Amino acid sequence: MSSETTTKPRRRASAKARVPYVGRPLPRVEDRPLLVGAGGYVDDFERPGMLHAHVVRSEVAHGRIRSIDVAAARRLPGVEHVITAADLPPVEIPVRLFPTDSSNRTLQPPLARDRVRYVGEPVAVVVATDPYLAEDAAAQVAVDVEPLVPVLDVEQAADDDAWLLHPQLGTNVIDRVTVGGDEAEVARLIRGADVVVRKRFRLARQGAVPLETRGLLAEYDADANALTVWGAAKVKHFNRTILSDLIGLPEASLRLIEGDVGGGFGARGEFYPEDYLIPWLAREIGRPVKWIEDRRENLLALNHSREQQWDLELAADREGRFIAFRASVLWAQGAYSRTHGSVLLPRLILLHASGPYRWQAFWGEASSVLTNKTPAGTYRGPGQYEPTFVRERMVDLVAREVGIDPAEIRRRNIITKAEMPYDSGLLDLDTGLPMVYDDGDFPLVFEQLLERCGYDQLRADVVRRQRAGERVGLSATSFIEMGNPGVFEQARVEALPDGRFVAHVGIASVGQGVETVLSQVAADLLHVPIEQVAVRYRDTATVPEGQGAFSSRATVWGGYAVAGAIRALQERAVEVAAERFNAVADEIEADGDSVLVPRGRRRRRVPIAELASEGFFRYEPGSASHVLTGGNVALVRVDPGSGDVVLERWWLAYEVGRAINPLTLEGQVRGAAVQGIGGALLEAFAYAPDGQPLTTSFLDYALPTAAESPNVEVLLVELGERREGDPLSGAKGGGEGGIIGVGATVANAVADALGGAAGELTELPILPETVQRLAALQAPAARGGAKPPMRSAS
Amino acid sequence: MSRKVTLEINGERYEREVEERLLLSDFIRHEAGLTGTHVGCEHGVCGACTVQLDGEPVRSCLLLAVQAEGHQLRTVEDLNAGMGEELHPLQQAFHESHGLQCGFCTPGFLMSIEPMLNTAADLDEGEIRAAISGNLCRCTGYQNIVSAIQLAATRMQDGS
Repeated sequence: MSSETTTKPRRRASAKARVPYVGRPLPRVEDRPLLVGAGGYVDDFERPGMLHAHVVRSEVAHGRIRSIDVAAARRLPGVEHVITAADLPPVEIPVRLFPTDSSNRTLQPPLARDRVRYVGEPVAVVVATDPYLAEDAAAQVAVDVEPLVPVLDVEQAADDDAWLLHPQLGTNVIDRVTVGGDEAEVARLIRGADVVVRKRFRLARQGAVPLETRGLLAEYDADANALTVWGAAKVKHFNRTILSDLIGLPEASLRLIEGDVGGGFGARGEFYPEDYLIPWLAREIGRPVKWIEDRRENLLALNHSREQQWDLELAADREGRFIAFRASVLWAQGAYSRTHGSVLLPRLILLHASGPYRWQAFWGEASSVLTNKTPAGTYRGPGQYEPTFVRERMVDLVAREVGIDPAEIRRRNIITKAEMPYDSGLLDLDTGLPMVYDDGDFPLVFEQLLERCGYDQLRADVVRRQRAGERVGLSATSFIEMGNPGVFEQARVEALPDGRFVAHVGIASVGQGVETVLSQVAADLLHVPIEQVAVRYRDTATVPEGQGAFSSRATVWGGYAVAGAIRALQERAVEVAAERFNAVADEIEADGDSVLVPRGRRRRRVPIAELASEGFFRYEPGSASHVLTGGNVALVRVDPGSGDVVLERWWLAYEVGRAINPLTLEGQVRGAAVQGIGGALLEAFAYAPDGQPLTTSFLDYALPTAAESPNVEVLLVELGERREGDPLSGAKGGGEGGIIGVGATVANAVADALGGAAGELTELPILPETVQRLAALQAPAARGGAKPPMRSAS
Repeated sequence: MSRKVTLEINGERYEREVEERLLLSDFIRHEAGLTGTHVGCEHGVCGACTVQLDGEPVRSCLLLAVQAEGHQLRTVEDLNAGMGEELHPLQQAFHESHGLQCGFCTPGFLMSIEPMLNTAADLDEGEIRAAISGNLCRCTGYQNIVSAIQLAATRMQDGS
């Protein structure tokens, strides 16, 4: 390392007219190993003497376990161990977020005890010397179950006389949350309104379905009484705490290691039964145990999401100005309270119901209801995608009713900049304080979207094509997203003697590009080439405590933690320099990777690494959550014969404050949009009347492919205020916004193409049979007269 | 039942005594230790496990190792073999176009596309989309993958 150099500060400062990394569309630093086949996903790890586990799962949706016979499985060659609930201590898988009395009484045991409550519920685990042998033996475990009536439909499950999943509770409705003001006042407003639309909406079960299935590898070191677990993701520090509680080892004895993660999307990385079973087995047997989920298991065992039913009334005046709405939602939680508990999703759903619009009043309730299906949790855009679909469908129905264009009705109702700060009437999820919309510019974003796509021309083209008999439709929708939640995030930045810096952070990566964006921030603050910065997050033994990666929070929370740690490192270096050079600390200036120490009229530049080795910071700003807004425009064509929906064009605007890396952010937005298209047109976990899942392979659960995915034209709107010396200033947590409005946008465009049958389009996904049925309701030739006249959008 | 199988992967000969039911994907990953080939569904839909068998893309989860007896296989690890720090033009284009996020599906895409790259410059976007519709990606939405293929194909054409 170079020794100190002497420079004139002014010259040096001007020589530093560097182009910041932040804001540039930089290709990712993560890519190389993933491109050459050198990634390290959980199944790529091996340990000497490793055994392989296979989970035996319930084949019955609801029943009493009479017996489980593992004798035949135990006798098979290579089988080392078989366990059932009888072998385990009486622990249950806890709820990570917002546990309630009811959720704590409906927790899932790691292995089913006396009852099974969904197909796919773990009932036994076989451990063998080879994964093929483990699977052979698992097939020999005989589970004798006395069937009970399965409860599958969320509305029937909520009935007073429904069969109960957890009889000790006396109901399947485990929790209920409300939002908004005085229900009676809302009812009065709706009664007195000129225009009232009432609809029931339903959304099917869908899920994250990452391309890499889950997996774990656990190894117990008896001498050190320590457990190491590979395969963590998303919230590894939380999971370490949970595992410590359940397995009875101190946190310091547990090490959770996150390898490369093949997609998360909210569901992967939460604490599931297997996250207890595999480490428990490794300790019990005294040999490393690996478990790799197969795709069928993944579709049955990973959290599901989205399934819900809405009853909604929306009132407006004759000009299409909204007055009030009243919503009643049933959230299908599945068989147990797991991971996200029973109130987080209902709360999120209600928080995103009112959207970017002004209301005189609203009221909503959402109940969490148990059914004999896979437990539910979050999936990208949780509690945001669904209410946005419902609300935006209703907005279009009101627009039809009063005879104005969908873009125009939104213009009339979107909260303006002049109305901010705007009291949303909602309470913050984390703090419970009133949520006030005080930044962003909702109309500006919507108008930029319309301008970018040439909305008026598009509308004219669509009307012309419709008159010519084409089944085409256009939609323009708006959304808000409450992003960037959290309580704290930490970072430790090391200065290495060779001039490199290593930032250890407590956030996680699920493939978004966290290393790249945090490296950009650090390189800008340290004034070094990005190659001299490394970001580490993988191992709980070496990185600080952290909350992890969820709700688009990693960049901003992780970034401010890194920035704080760099500041702490610089401050430490200044202190040491003051002592070493007998200077006044106030006169020493931190300058990126160095400090400048006065020496006569000149200044001595000393590299930080020669003065200090590390800086630590805990970022704990109170609430950092904020509101993001955006919109989508879609042009679609439907084929009434095949029921096919072709997405001809797609535009997406998203106000992100400031894009740290437009390349990766646009990548997030595009990917999210296509996931949302899967949710709008393809994806549904289907069940037979006896509770058997019908979608247990990629042949049945259809993900979008390149063939039906559109190009998404992304318009990032950056309204964030920039502050000197703060590369993150103005940035908001982004990444999920791409999915939030997509179901709504597809549905409204298809409804537009279906003309008079539009009011019947109330479900997601919109499968071909729905399109065929609705298209048959009204032939195109008959549509012209039934459709209200369009007013000019401008 | 086990039997001896001899095959060539990335120019290297592997001779192993394996069970007849062993999937080729498991042979590649766990016998040959080439973990760049990923298994996403084990029923031939997602394409993550795609490798080249005698130059043609195949799904290694739909073949048994014994079926590959005497054949030449190529996996993602071979794409830039011998190129040092440099990447294969297709890998480079995926990097520049941000054609990957979690990276799990990426080796399958690369091995599916690489044999058609020499002719891909003449393909329109729809044809490229059709050509990769047998590979699932849950992260990117495909648009940047299409761009990457177009970029690589153009460069290969210009270079040849």
